[in-house]
Amino acid sequence: MKRSWYASPYALWMVLFTVVPLLFVCYYAFTDAAGAFTTANFTKIAQPMYLLVLWDSLRLAVYCTALCLLIGYPTAYFLASRDFSRAQSLVVLILVPMWMNFLLRTYAMMTLLEDNGVLNTLLRSIGLPGFKLIGTEGAVLLGMVYNYLPFMVLPIYTVLKKMDYSVIEAAEDLGCSPIRVVSRVVLPMSIPGVVSGITMVFMPAVTTFSISRLMSSGMVYLVGDMIEDYFISMNNRNVGSSISLVMLVLIILSIGFLRKVDPDNQGGGLW
Amino acid sequence: MIQDMRLIELKGVCKNFGDTQVLHDVDLYIRKCEFITLLGPSGCGKTTLLRIIGGFEMPSSGEVLFEGKDMTGIPPYKRRINTVFQKYALFNHLNVYDNIAFGLNLKTPEQLGVQTKKEKKEEIARRVNRMLKLVKMEGYEKRSTNALSGGQQQRIAIARALVNEPEVLLLDEPLGALDLKLRKEMQLELKAMQQQLGITFIYVTHDQEEALTMSDTIAVMNGGRIQQIGDPKGIYDEPKNAFVADFIGESNIVDGVMLQDDLVKFRDTEFQCVDEGFDTNEPVDVVIRPEDIMIVGEDVGMLSGTVESVIFKGVHYEMMIRDEIGGEGQGMLWKVHSTTMQPVGTRVGMTIVPYNIHIMHKAKTADAEPVSETGDKEA
Repeated sequence: MKRSWYASPYALWMVLFTVVPLLFVCYYAFTDAAGAFTTANFTKIAQPMYLLVLWDSLRLAVYCTALCLLIGYPTAYFLASRDFSRAQSLVVLILVPMWMNFLLRTYAMMTLLEDNGVLNTLLRSIGLPGFKLIGTEGAVLLGMVYNYLPFMVLPIYTVLKKMDYSVIEAAEDLGCSPIRVVSRVVLPMSIPGVVSGITMVFMPAVTTFSISRLMSSGMVYLVGDMIEDYFISMNNRNVGSSISLVMLVLIILSIGFLRKVDPDNQGGGLW
Repeated sequence: MIQDMRLIELKGVCKNFGDTQVLHDVDLYIRKCEFITLLGPSGCGKTTLLRIIGGFEMPSSGEVLFEGKDMTGIPPYKRRINTVFQKYALFNHLNVYDNIAFGLNLKTPEQLGVQTKKEKKEEIARRVNRMLKLVKMEGYEKRSTNALSGGQQQRIAIARALVNEPEVLLLDEPLGALDLKLRKEMQLELKAMQQQLGITFIYVTHDQEEALTMSDTIAVMNGGRIQQIGDPKGIYDEPKNAFVADFIGESNIVDGVMLQDDLVKFRDTEFQCVDEGFDTNEPVDVVIRPEDIMIVGEDVGMLSGTVESVIFKGVHYEMMIRDEIGGEGQGMLWKVHSTTMQPVGTRVGMTIVPYNIHIMHKAKTADAEPVSETGDKEA
């Protein structure tokens, strides 16, 4: 039996649960409720109201990815540093939240940040004014960063951990001050991990749903929530499908763009 | 020895990692333009010593002088020393050209002797191309370092270090990963480069043949101590103790007793030798090189024995011959190199001329006591 046959279970899985549903999405996107061909779904979502939702989703996803990178890179760098021996247990701590359902995590976050939640109660008890968190865009961003941060830390940590320490010594040897060691060697060599982290955070972030609704008490409405509404509350799978298709194209374009940053494609860009 | 010829001087250098002391009171000086090899088995402290000179480790005590000035606490990037690492440590996000230019790019135009940024770029190109020529890698500028063979990566690593025109080049077993033929070629090339450029090379290896081939001076190390320093011939011909004798080349090492000047007794037999100044009846180590044992007819040699195994080694045969001291099959095995083969089972005689019997003081403790006169080198 040829080796390629071993992949046949996966191929079957792909066809049944990825290719066929994708074809359905395409079919619904280009048809009306009666099943006739139309482009009306797309003209409908080209209206400013829909584009605004799309814009908000992209904007928040970019903020979230940037914040994750800003917090995640130094964390990964610290965890991967040679003279830090408890890294393993801390990496597990970073992983633990991922073992729980994201809704559970988000509800927990809400309990902490509510107007009468743990944080505000604590603040008031020491005489400080409480502040409103839930119901703001900031709360949505906080929930997203909290949920997606491990996906940024882990790939960068793996790349940094694998890096041969003698490369850093070589840079010092050739005249790099400690800052230049980071800017000229460590950062450029960890690009594959960064690309991989950005991919893994940006993709789920841009299609975020529920987190936005829960953390903002419905004030922030994102593409993910909109797709959910079209499919479930409004029972209009045609418009829902066309929005999904537009998102898919946008994601493919943005991930494809990352390939320019990482030409060897070590970070898992799409093509 | 003129003091100002000493480029680098180590004085009483000790190094501890936790509870283990890896270097014990090392004294060593390195002269300008010298090719010195730190030779010893793994774990003997040679790499640690090299890393202390490079600034990657700080000595626990003692000092490192560079042209008479204390270097303790000066980080690697401020030393006029460059290193070729064991695993090359090339920057795989840069191509061959940018790897070699890495150190030069960090310098200001003034440091390269030019004024403008444009001139700096030209100067770097000039130096990098000269290095590529030196290591015979012209035409590889744009290649990715991942696409190079081990030998090519090593050449780039050497070029990357040498392009900065360091006073001293440190090499940490740089040829360890190469195959035998390539290693021999690179040994000669490295030696030629060193002579051409007039740079001090400090080379670390566990390969005694490599050390003998390339070095002006060899420092044999064991157990964190320098056992002997000298030129290759001096170390090979006159090892100071049994460890050095055994490590540098193959040896038969036998327990013996010095009866008087020029007369030693081992294997229940008295031998003429040329060593003097030992105490009467002092127990000694007797070292005899395998090629110094002559095979003669049975019962006419100083010792008799039976050939137990023969291995063809290319130029010579290596025979293990068991002598007859202590009864049948109880004698010790002698390693003998000879161009004529004696079949297994043959009874032969063995003769050693006095000049080839090397007498050494017994080491006082189990783990080889240091030889005291470590600073004693030949000019």
